[in-house]
Amino acid sequence: MNIEFPYKIALSFPGDLEYIPSIRKFISEVLQVSNFSTKFAYRSEIIVDEISNNAVNYGCRDENASVNLECLIYEDHIEFDIRDQGGSKEHIDRLHSAIKAEPEDTISNKGLGIEIVRMLSESMDINIDDQNLTSVHIIRKREES
Amino acid sequence: MHQKDLAIEINDVPGSNGALIINFRGELSSLCISRISGTFDTIDYSTIKFVIADMSNVTLVSSAALGEFMGGRKRLVESGGDLVFASLQIDLRSKLNMMGANKIFRFYNDTRSAVNAFRWEYEKHHEHLHLSFPPFLKLVPPIRSLVSRVAKQKGYSNRDSFRIETIIDEVCNNAIEHGLEGANKSIDLKMTINPAQVEFTVTSVSDPEKMQALKAMIKSDEHDLSKLRSDEKRGRGLALIKMLSNELTVDCNESGTSVHVKKLREE
Repeated sequence: MNIEFPYKIALSFPGDLEYIPSIRKFISEVLQVSNFSTKFAYRSEIIVDEISNNAVNYGCRDENASVNLECLIYEDHIEFDIRDQGGSKEHIDRLHSAIKAEPEDTISNKGLGIEIVRMLSESMDINIDDQNLTSVHIIRKREES
Repeated sequence: MHQKDLAIEINDVPGSNGALIINFRGELSSLCISRISGTFDTIDYSTIKFVIADMSNVTLVSSAALGEFMGGRKRLVESGGDLVFASLQIDLRSKLNMMGANKIFRFYNDTRSAVNAFRWEYEKHHEHLHLSFPPFLKLVPPIRSLVSRVAKQKGYSNRDSFRIETIIDEVCNNAIEHGLEGANKSIDLKMTINPAQVEFTVTSVSDPEKMQALKAMIKSDEHDLSKLRSDEKRGRGLALIKMLSNELTVDCNESGTSVHVKKLREE
């Protein structure tokens, strides 16, 4: 059966940095078999790496914490939605300010990851629900090669 | 002077009895080796198996101090444990690599990863990966590679990982072939891995028109490659899975098909 757009891939993995290289490679391969260019797949891989690292480092506090990554794949764009259990107030405030800040304000050691994601995406939003569950939503448009 | 700069703090790992985190702060010069060895002397080696040296606030490790860590590690290894480094600063990690310390000690990016390694190796902690995907054959190669990479990352051999990959390929291809078509339909893959075994459950919604053929295939006693005729085209996949795995169960009913496979680690 051939690929039909749009479609969704959902992943849940342990809050452990060890899993991230396999996850980012997986997303890259999925995009390539969906006829996105190698360059697009590689840049998307970088986004997945950054947001997954943030989710594991700042959003996984319990020993059994996991990270949920959803990837919606359209013909002309992709959307990522990453959810974690939520970090400390300090980390959430920092994430908020990094996303809201002007690009030049975030180019510091700590905000560099978010800045790379912002550069590579069309839009980036953050949602924090009543139970502190944090989700980051990213849209990235297909690039002409 | 340097000794005054050094701070050492021992913390338990929440929820675990067999591990400790020792936070070092400052410069670990040759002047402070007695404090390091004194810290290792306080450890109860009958209960503690794993020590994580948190080095995030350490700026220098002298060769004499490294020797003390080797002594501490030796005592742990003798009782079946280990001492690992976590959160080393980049320049310090490079220097330790140049000293060859990476051939003796394991380095982890952060204490959380080191704690996860302890839970995995000593508490035989199960880890779960859950994937949901639409029934497109083109997605199977990335899925089999994902599972294989995870198995390798968790220490499974190339041979075990390849066998796991082959099992996943067969199960997912079957789920797509016998399931309902469409981007809005999904196949669920649940993977549970621990140091001894890996288990998979693949669940899909069966196509009613293909149910009879599927049930006939499952009921067949010929899930044995040696009994299959060379011209027989059906049933090879299940026979292969059975040969490569240690347990295979297929539950097929009107709501869906669930295939459960268990594979023990061989190497």
